Amino acid sequence: MAQLSPRAKKTLIRLGDLMLPENGDFPAFSATGSIAHLDKLTDHAPESDISDLSLLLSILSFMPDFILKWLIHKMETAPQSDGALSTIFRQLDFGIRGLLYSCYYSGRMGENYTGKNPLDVIGYEIKRVE
Amino acid sequence: MYDFIIIGSGPSGGNLAYHLHQSGAKCLLLEAGKFFRKETFPRNEADTSAQLYWGGGIEFDAVARMAFLRAKVVGGTSIVNQCLLDRFDDIAWNDWKALSGVDFFESEKMKPYYDKVESALHLHTFTPEERNRNADLFSASCEKLDYKWHYLRKGQHDCAYEQGNDCIACLGGCHRNSKQSSLVGYVLKAEKEGLPVESEVMVERLDVNKERVRVFAIKNKRKTEYYCKKVILAGGSFGTTALLLKSGFKERLPALGKYFSAHPQFMTFGIYDEPVNSHKGYFQTVASKDPAFRAKGFKLENVFAPPISLGILFAGTGKRHQELMRNYTKMSCIEVAIRDEHVGEIAVDKKGKLNVKKPLTDHDKVKRDAGLEVIRNILSASGAKEIIQSPYYFGLHLMGGCAMGANASQSVVNPDYNVHDSKNIFIADSSIYPAAPGINPSLTVMALSQKLSEQLTQQKN
Repeated sequence: MAQLSPRAKKTLIRLGDLMLPENGDFPAFSATGSIAHLDKLTDHAPESDISDLSLLLSILSFMPDFILKWLIHKMETAPQSDGALSTIFRQLDFGIRGLLYSCYYSGRMGENYTGKNPLDVIGYEIKRVE
Repeated sequence: MYDFIIIGSGPSGGNLAYHLHQSGAKCLLLEAGKFFRKETFPRNEADTSAQLYWGGGIEFDAVARMAFLRAKVVGGTSIVNQCLLDRFDDIAWNDWKALSGVDFFESEKMKPYYDKVESALHLHTFTPEERNRNADLFSASCEKLDYKWHYLRKGQHDCAYEQGNDCIACLGGCHRNSKQSSLVGYVLKAEKEGLPVESEVMVERLDVNKERVRVFAIKNKRKTEYYCKKVILAGGSFGTTALLLKSGFKERLPALGKYFSAHPQFMTFGIYDEPVNSHKGYFQTVASKDPAFRAKGFKLENVFAPPISLGILFAGTGKRHQELMRNYTKMSCIEVAIRDEHVGEIAVDKKGKLNVKKPLTDHDKVKRDAGLEVIRNILSASGAKEIIQSPYYFGLHLMGGCAMGANASQSVVNPDYNVHDSKNIFIADSSIYPAAPGINPSLTVMALSQKLSEQLTQQKN
């Protein structure tokens, strides 16, 4: 059962608002409350991966936004970069975006959220004939 | 003591467990993943990724350039793939035979096994009325540009297409038991006939002597052991190779972990003014079938992805990302899958964690670029107003690591499916592939396993 610490989650929410901001009918990541469902996802991830990510996010919690923006930039350009550091940025990119998008586009919002669901904004609906 | 313990329940393990159990052998099927039924498969993409895949969704090569999608569930990869069942062509078999020295690597010699597997499954070749608009755009543009294409053949029974069922959902497990996965084709049938199936059992190591195999595993966080006369490894390229490595076979088998290939896939998206709704209906019905592409070492598939996966495939975040996602229903998608060189290597570190090297060679890049150029032509011809290539690539077809071959110094498994010098360890999963075939591997895994099951049944009798 691997879970991010509360401090790490707070940093993830800050990163979430930078990577998934309020934009027209798209809600900001934090506004959706979808982070409430994060533990259900990380429970199935390798404990060592979540523990490493939790530690890093906890350290980043002391950093100002411009450092987080710099980190996002490094993650975004990592596919085109070489070197050992770029490997870490690529891992972080998939790890952080994976968790944020899994919450944001899961369709599951926070209990008190009343705004638009990102899945509705993008027009995703599927029919499942049981 | 069991006659056979089968480790892994995908297309190879399912087939072998079913046939050996039917033959009267005392068998046990072990699987690291959970046992979901059609009623219990996750109904949400986020849960699907987290619960049905190793690594909580995704794994990477050592430098995190290539992503691997590997199922961890009873039924294995066949639960999360599209169950596209293609026979190998002469090109693939002849290349394999030349490389491995295995004499039954021939279309004609494998034909009886393909026939038997196919006759046991429901197969469906798609028709024009089953295409969605993504497939319409692809096929029409291929016609315009004189690229050959064809309708795919899928293992499926009743997808309720006429009632509006959207098959993209079955990437998280088929909720109708329509998809002819290993679960539906073999495991459920064998379980009904009394085969014991133990899920969520992580096999850690094997101890082998002439009389028996001791299987060390973790179940419910507790160490446990099983005993059998013969063990069949069916954990796929990573699972099977890692288990042999952790069991100390590397010194005896210098080729263990080598010759890994994965058909790397590169996705490109077209954005249109009108809705495409690529996620609706049968979402994958057509693909390229151009001899020129085959000769150049690539093929094109007309695919799509649900929102979380698609979002991750796009570079960038923030408003640019959101504006791309806003066009979700107006996107088409084509991917190029290359017949990559088998230079990858699977290893495990001291903690037993996978460490996979999978560089793209210069030849691989030439194939990729040739395919991407054709995709741009197709998307332009179909009227895409914007073309976006994903900077990320991934592999779903994980092959090699325990290559089959006649020469023990260059292979792990002999033509009788035995690990060299280990008469009671057998392998027939995709880890025995000596190189990338450039064709969906699943049906051939089942055909090779069918051959092994008949061989073992004959020996038993």
